[in-house]
Amino acid sequence: MEQNDNKVNKTMTTQPGMSDVVLGCVMPYIDDPKDRDAVSLVCRRWYELDALTRKHLTIALCYTTSPDRLRRRFRHLESLKLKGKPRAAMFNLIPEDWGGYVTPWVNEIAENFNCLKSVHFRRMIVQDSDLEVLARSRGKVLQVLKLDKCSGFSTDGLLHVGRMCRQLRTLFLEESSIIEKDGQWLHELAVNNSVLMTLNFYMTDLVKVRFEDLELIARNCRYLVSVKISDCEILDLVGFFHAASVLEEFCGGSFNDQPERYSVVSFPPRLCRLGLTYMGKNEMPIVFPFASLLKKLDLLYALLDTEDHCLLIQRCPNLEVLETRNVIGDRGLEVLARSCKRLKRLRIERGADEQEMEDEEGVVSQRGLMALSQGCLELEYLAVYVSDITNASLQYIGTYSKNLCDFRLVLLDKEERITDLPLDNGVRDLLRGCEKLRRFALYLRPGGLTDVGLGYIGQYSPKVRWMLLGSVGGSDAGLLEFSRGCPSLQKLEVRGCCFSERALAASVMQLTSLRYLWVQGYRASDSGCDLLAMARPFWNIELIPARRIVMTDQVGEADVVEDPAHILAYYSLAGPRTDFPETVIRLDTSATGVEL
Amino acid sequence: MSRATVELDFFGMEKANSSKSQFQKFIDRRRSFRGIQGAISKMNPELIKSVISSGSTNRSPVDWRKSFSVPSSPKEDRSSPVPSLPILNPALRASSEDSRETAPVTIFYNGTVSVFNVTRDKAESIFKLAVEGSSKNVESTDSLKVANPSRDQRNLLETRNGDLPIARNKSLQRFLEKRKER
Repeated sequence: MEQNDNKVNKTMTTQPGMSDVVLGCVMPYIDDPKDRDAVSLVCRRWYELDALTRKHLTIALCYTTSPDRLRRRFRHLESLKLKGKPRAAMFNLIPEDWGGYVTPWVNEIAENFNCLKSVHFRRMIVQDSDLEVLARSRGKVLQVLKLDKCSGFSTDGLLHVGRMCRQLRTLFLEESSIIEKDGQWLHELAVNNSVLMTLNFYMTDLVKVRFEDLELIARNCRYLVSVKISDCEILDLVGFFHAASVLEEFCGGSFNDQPERYSVVSFPPRLCRLGLTYMGKNEMPIVFPFASLLKKLDLLYALLDTEDHCLLIQRCPNLEVLETRNVIGDRGLEVLARSCKRLKRLRIERGADEQEMEDEEGVVSQRGLMALSQGCLELEYLAVYVSDITNASLQYIGTYSKNLCDFRLVLLDKEERITDLPLDNGVRDLLRGCEKLRRFALYLRPGGLTDVGLGYIGQYSPKVRWMLLGSVGGSDAGLLEFSRGCPSLQKLEVRGCCFSERALAASVMQLTSLRYLWVQGYRASDSGCDLLAMARPFWNIELIPARRIVMTDQVGEADVVEDPAHILAYYSLAGPRTDFPETVIRLDTSATGVEL
Repeated sequence: MSRATVELDFFGMEKANSSKSQFQKFIDRRRSFRGIQGAISKMNPELIKSVISSGSTNRSPVDWRKSFSVPSSPKEDRSSPVPSLPILNPALRASSEDSRETAPVTIFYNGTVSVFNVTRDKAESIFKLAVEGSSKNVESTDSLKVANPSRDQRNLLETRNGDLPIARNKSLQRFLEKRKER
């Protein structure tokens, strides 16, 4: 914020109250980003003090600013989180080369950020050379490195990390697409590091890692608390489990041998967060001895049916976090509601579509939701794919789930008939009841929510900052009514709706807090010009035109599918992007008109 | 950035005039993000006719053969920001036309290319059909709908969820595929 320097300084020195010295002592205790944001807007002096003392920064989209601006404002930053590709990239909806390159940031970090100890890149493109630069320049002080759903690098890049980042407490690679040359990187980490606390290469498909190196890490690193790996035979990890005496979290592995053989596996005594890949009903009993200690259970990649879920869950009274597929079924949710009174987070993902692959009981509906809301009163996060739904079940959630901060519901499209649509009243009652709601996602189908319901969402979500709306509303009127509300909405994702460009542009202008918009599936205008109604300073508009992508359908056959156009718009202080691939178009909103 | 989203360079002929009539309107329409199919369904049939007739005068239409496979964002031809297209000019039409003589019609549709040898009359009926089909779809409310979607495409595109299938999380997708192999 630009202030008149002289005027402000004069005021500060003559003003009674907090001196700068006192302020300087208090400021470092203010951590919440919203508080910090407010502090920095008070006056020039507070802005500067915030800049000097802020420890962590999250840049929600890397193109909203530049490395240069970051350096000028927060030179003493200790921890940085940068996000690149739109969230839709997690669903294969964004071209791989869309952007989000870390290179300019890494170069700036290497050069100028001498206090930086923690780096987290999410959905960005990282190259081996970037890892080398980072390791060489910051290796001596780097404590946390997270390459979270990133791509573009290989295990060669990780070699540099293993060799030069000897102070690393956390190495996080979960869900990154990594080109695997060999397992040498893990060996380097094993021989060079003795302070590692968190190691995560879960869901990376790295198979050339040697379990001996895992064991070595466990022996060398006395504080190893969390390890999440790719597929590695559990029987090979007996030595690792024995050595990792303070381990609290383990995910990954696989079961390729006879079930009886796994009785020799004994887990570390403090293990309370667990997720065993490909664990089936016959291997499940190895968890029973310590199931009552479990606080977090990841069954997303297990091979359990509904009955198995019931058997396991009822032994976990201290469960706080559960992630699984909809094979848990309504029956499993009823068991959960009865047994797990401390449950805070529940994520139920969509299982296989083919009947043979999953349990026929494996559907979640209003029945499970009603039981869940009444039983698990401490629920803060609920994300669920349902096959059927009613207004009443949503009303139950509004009535009982008073701690809910994050609610996401997707209505699967397998069933033709849904018991109770539209969900206008249920959604309204849920939003009115869940007063702490910050994040909200609703993905339905035509007829699932009318324009009236969409208006309710606008009206009754005062604190919601992020929303995903899929296949809701009936017309532009609904969207316009919606956008008259949502006073806190910063980030909006819209998919598969019937809204026109004109309405989208108009709603953007009405949403007072909006700084990021992503849309896929909309009524395009003839010339693409209707979007210009939202042209304004600092507002970048990008388009990913319709393209053809190869998708594997339910029967495993490759299919060429038409992927409709996307709109991405966001506030930026850095001007329009310059690193476009050919699959992205920038809408040039300069005075001469549309230039594509 | 004045790069075209979809290169319609398949005719590859220099434009004779820079008149602002059908050609400019066509370019402006083409600047929407519908992709090739939208463009073709709105293309002036006269334009196609003039190509056919120039084909029938034995001028080798080199450039259309070049674009036989239609990538969604072709790497070549980036140097020409504006694709060259023949301008409709009735004067270009050959004055004496044998109604029985066939000429190739090349139809680019949604990533496929088909070439037919048809008589002039047949060609005109094809164009009429396309024009009628596209005028009916002018009010189309979905950027995916095309003049005559094939049955397969309709099944793919028109699911119950407003024409877009629910996308699946990458990791889960991989797990479900790996599971089949176990």
